[in-house]
Amino acid sequence: MGISDLLSVVVFLPLAGAVVSALVPKTRPEVAKWVAAITMGLGLALTVWIVAVFDRTASGMQFVTNVAWVPQAGIHYHLGVDGVSITMLALSSLLGLIAVIASWKVTDRAPTYFAMLLLLQVGMNGVFLALDFVLFYMFWELVLVPMFFLIGMWGGTRREYASVKFFIYTLAGSVFMLVGMIALYLHTGTFDMVALAKAGSTGALGIGFQNWVFLAFFLGFAVKVPLFPLHTWLPDAHVEAPTAASVLLAGILLKMGTYGFIRVSLPMLPDAARAWAPWIAVLAVISIVYGAAVAFAQTDLKKLVAYSSVSHMGFVMLGIFSMTTAGLNGAVAVMFSHGVVTGMLFLIVGMVYDRTHTRQIADLSGLSSAMPVMGGLLAFASFASLGLPGLSGFVGEFLSLIGAWQSAVIPHWITVIAAVGVLLAAAYMLWMVLRVVLGKPSEVLRGLPDASTRELWVLAPLVALTLIVGLYWSSLLAFVDPAVKALVALVGGAA
Amino acid sequence: MTWLVLIPLLPALAFAAMAPMSRRVRTAVRWLPLAAMSGSLLMSFAAFARVWPGGGEEPVWRATFSLATLGGAPLSVGLRLDAVTAIMLLVVTIVGVCVQVYSLGYMHRDERQGWYFAVLSLFSAAMLLLVLSGDFLLLYMSWEVMGLCSYLLIGFWHEQDAPRRASIKAFLTTRVGDVGFAIGLAAMWAYAHSFDFAVVLRDTHWTVAAATLVSLGLLAGAMGKSAQVPLHVWLPDARAGPTPASALIHAATMVAAGVYLVARALPIFHAAAPWVLIFVMGVGTATALLGATLAMVQYDIKKVLAYSTISQLGYMFIALGAGAEGAALFHLTTHAFFKSLLFLGAGVIIHATHTQDIREMGGLRKTMPWTTGTFLFGALALSGVFPFSGFWSKDDILMTLWTQHTWWSLTALSVALLVAAMTAFYMTRVCIRVFAGRACSLARETHLDMIVPMAVLAGITAVIGFTSPAFAAFLGEVKGWPDLGMAVVGSIAATTGIGLGVWIYAFAGVDTQELRVRFPRVTAVLENGFYFDLTYNRGLVETFQWLTRLLAAFDTTVVDGAVNAVARGWSAASRVSWAFDGTVVDGAVNGVGALVKRAGDRVRTLQSGRVQGYQRLGYAGLLALLGLALLVPYIGALAAAACAFVALIVVGVIVVRGA
Repeated sequence: MGISDLLSVVVFLPLAGAVVSALVPKTRPEVAKWVAAITMGLGLALTVWIVAVFDRTASGMQFVTNVAWVPQAGIHYHLGVDGVSITMLALSSLLGLIAVIASWKVTDRAPTYFAMLLLLQVGMNGVFLALDFVLFYMFWELVLVPMFFLIGMWGGTRREYASVKFFIYTLAGSVFMLVGMIALYLHTGTFDMVALAKAGSTGALGIGFQNWVFLAFFLGFAVKVPLFPLHTWLPDAHVEAPTAASVLLAGILLKMGTYGFIRVSLPMLPDAARAWAPWIAVLAVISIVYGAAVAFAQTDLKKLVAYSSVSHMGFVMLGIFSMTTAGLNGAVAVMFSHGVVTGMLFLIVGMVYDRTHTRQIADLSGLSSAMPVMGGLLAFASFASLGLPGLSGFVGEFLSLIGAWQSAVIPHWITVIAAVGVLLAAAYMLWMVLRVVLGKPSEVLRGLPDASTRELWVLAPLVALTLIVGLYWSSLLAFVDPAVKALVALVGGAA
Repeated sequence: MTWLVLIPLLPALAFAAMAPMSRRVRTAVRWLPLAAMSGSLLMSFAAFARVWPGGGEEPVWRATFSLATLGGAPLSVGLRLDAVTAIMLLVVTIVGVCVQVYSLGYMHRDERQGWYFAVLSLFSAAMLLLVLSGDFLLLYMSWEVMGLCSYLLIGFWHEQDAPRRASIKAFLTTRVGDVGFAIGLAAMWAYAHSFDFAVVLRDTHWTVAAATLVSLGLLAGAMGKSAQVPLHVWLPDARAGPTPASALIHAATMVAAGVYLVARALPIFHAAAPWVLIFVMGVGTATALLGATLAMVQYDIKKVLAYSTISQLGYMFIALGAGAEGAALFHLTTHAFFKSLLFLGAGVIIHATHTQDIREMGGLRKTMPWTTGTFLFGALALSGVFPFSGFWSKDDILMTLWTQHTWWSLTALSVALLVAAMTAFYMTRVCIRVFAGRACSLARETHLDMIVPMAVLAGITAVIGFTSPAFAAFLGEVKGWPDLGMAVVGSIAATTGIGLGVWIYAFAGVDTQELRVRFPRVTAVLENGFYFDLTYNRGLVETFQWLTRLLAAFDTTVVDGAVNAVARGWSAASRVSWAFDGTVVDGAVNGVGALVKRAGDRVRTLQSGRVQGYQRLGYAGLLALLGLALLVPYIGALAAAACAFVALIVVGVIVVRGA
């Protein structure tokens, strides 16, 4: 087994873990969680190894595995990683392990629960590494299934509705994506995503064809992002999902959509992407402002964070469709930072909920007086989320904004409205902090314990990453920039 | 000279060390920020010595760090040391050390004081980094961190309602300006591809349009931070924080950062359309007048000082509008010392009298001689009385306006003279109310550890004015001693204000209560601060809150309602097609239909079903998907057609049902 097989191991190791975990008898939940933790830990260790040996100066795919799978149809088992996907892989591996540790107290049907988390990990890792469309599509759909069960079986009171809505909504989106894939296949005769990117950039595909295929992929990806007005599955899914599922949903699943735009829409259909960019920028900026405004009005803490995701993902879309290196670097930075920071927010909300059994903002107040550590961490995550310089949230938002301003395809007024979104982010976050973190401690918080050691360990890596990326941008962007530069050269955007 | 990095780094490290500590340990090491700040002070003197005798705009030291590469091109931030930086470093560290020493006494009973000192240290680090920044990006980043510290310190006593609300108000109001700042930076990057002072400020290729846009953006940021009309509303409320924090942040340093920013960016303002600088002067004039007017009618001693700060910052903006970088920075410097002195004095007075209302004070000159003496130094400087520092720097600004001799500079000059008289008047009013009259028996002089910092600041206030020509020369400007004519005019304004104040408040020449009763409209307008707060609350905040609730309702009923309607329609359609398909044996289509129908039913009725059912359903779906994925290559065209057909049906249903 050579070093290039590492990716396959990272993808399928959790599958083995899932099988083992599923076979654990219901009476021994602790075995299942250890199986999950060890598998995820190994996966993370392998990911760290990949990150360490990854060549940050190269722009192409690395660790490539490419073998014929269904040769009659030109389907290959084709995996590889570049600067964009490695950041997502790293995020996915880290959040996977954190999700397991955050679920340490889960005893209800634990073997199945942890098997689902592990199965989810297979899909998430696979999506970011697959370079063959059929493989990509399989991983993409695989993600839906365990998430459906995590919400539907371990969720809150409206879990049935939320899980079915999540499943059908995103499945409906992927049907269009499938159509787009098949159309590309019929046109070019290949499922190879690298070859398709080359074909797209050399102008082999006519603009009329590109437009239709772009629309199909757009529907598939935009639901996942989610872009206004296709976002309403998200608050329901988030509110009902158990904490670990919320973390992965916001941290990874949403990024599959924006990753799709970067990996598929831009390089394969560059002419259509340029033509559609102003319109998508309009939707992005509506998502930013609308998501922020609706977040402000929420009374449920988790719903507030969910709508803040709609707003933040708008910045990702704005950065991507600026088609500039600054914007795309920014987009990936927001994707990474949002995964880390929103993960933190969901985890803390979950920890507070575990103690108080409420997520109502009105019921909580004075968290920092009742639990100084927990309150401080919630405030920290809030400031990271609202884009305070020195923390990771600022990097991507700022780069997306300057990329959008620089962009030849996005009008300036859109960027101005997006900048107002930064103000609104401060408004809803600080308004939440004012009511939840500050003030006199409310009755429900009386006598409750502060963060436990396990909880601190869950949050510590996220806090550290927020600081590292925020203070030393290159720690993240050194991976991203070469890939982004090549992509922008491919699609002919501004430097 | 890499050691310059330590100037901001030392206080930053002090914060980083204290942040994770427990409350008890933090309190035990509360002197740590002072130690760090003292180190920064010594190094700032050393830095000043390196620049001395100055006279040029060239930095004596530069360092750049690459933050990232964008498309292979570096995005760098950097530090630079030049004359302006050297002065600002001294101002920040001297006031900073004085405030730290004072705070050790002032806060020593507060059980959360460790956190106070930690945040004060982070603030110092950010402010020092700001003045050392060699580019607009690093300046912006430290600017925002200062905003955070200001927020944390205003809301320090967050269990009370007022500080909590004042803190969010301060952060959001300044961030309104920062939206402009961010856009200005984006535009700067698009045109100059750099944030570096050395590039951006020298760039001769600025088009008027680009320079106008960028300068207006930066100005917006400066107006928020430096509390210029109409973004001044946060500063009077910021008094909810501990008084020494107000002295450092909301009087001496952070609020002056906007002035510093515009002073740095003046070359861009010069390249912009001419009305931009006139606009700056207009903003400054309006702010100076509004601040002075409102300062005259306040009873809260900290509120008088806060409105006074707004007014003096307006003065600095007038100077900037005249393009007089040196005059603006000199007034910034003198103001930093005398206004922090006044705030520290106010803190002692409030502690001694247990009130902030000047009507409840009186006769402190007998019991608190040191506080009275130092406070008077500050008041005389603020009033522009020779030889105190304010006299010199105010005179600089007045003279600049006179020399410019345009209709707008002369308008600004007359307003500035009026403001000078008003300033002298309200300070006289405060001093008479607080120090004269019958003694307040409770008040007792404070301890030496709080008197010494005030005495140091008072000493600086007394002498620093004489450095006026040297200050200008250090910045590379040529300027002699003040013109006698203008000095006389300025002094007449100050004397008039003081005389009026003495006549009204010491000799009861006018019954102010009667004035209030006789002119109720005027009184109402002034007591409501020209209705800025009311307008913002009614017009902006409440509208925004109403709008967000409306949008949230829109989201659940319309946007999500449409989704549920589609699901219902889909479900109905699938039932019809199911009935149809029942005769045509087609397993695959049946499966999809059943899945859709069941799911649709769930969505419609929201009834709880058995989880096992879903599980089976889900497994079936998974198998179907895997099968589909594997079948695709063999029956590519057929499968594509089938999928397209399904997609078409879905689109059709959505269109029909949605209509």
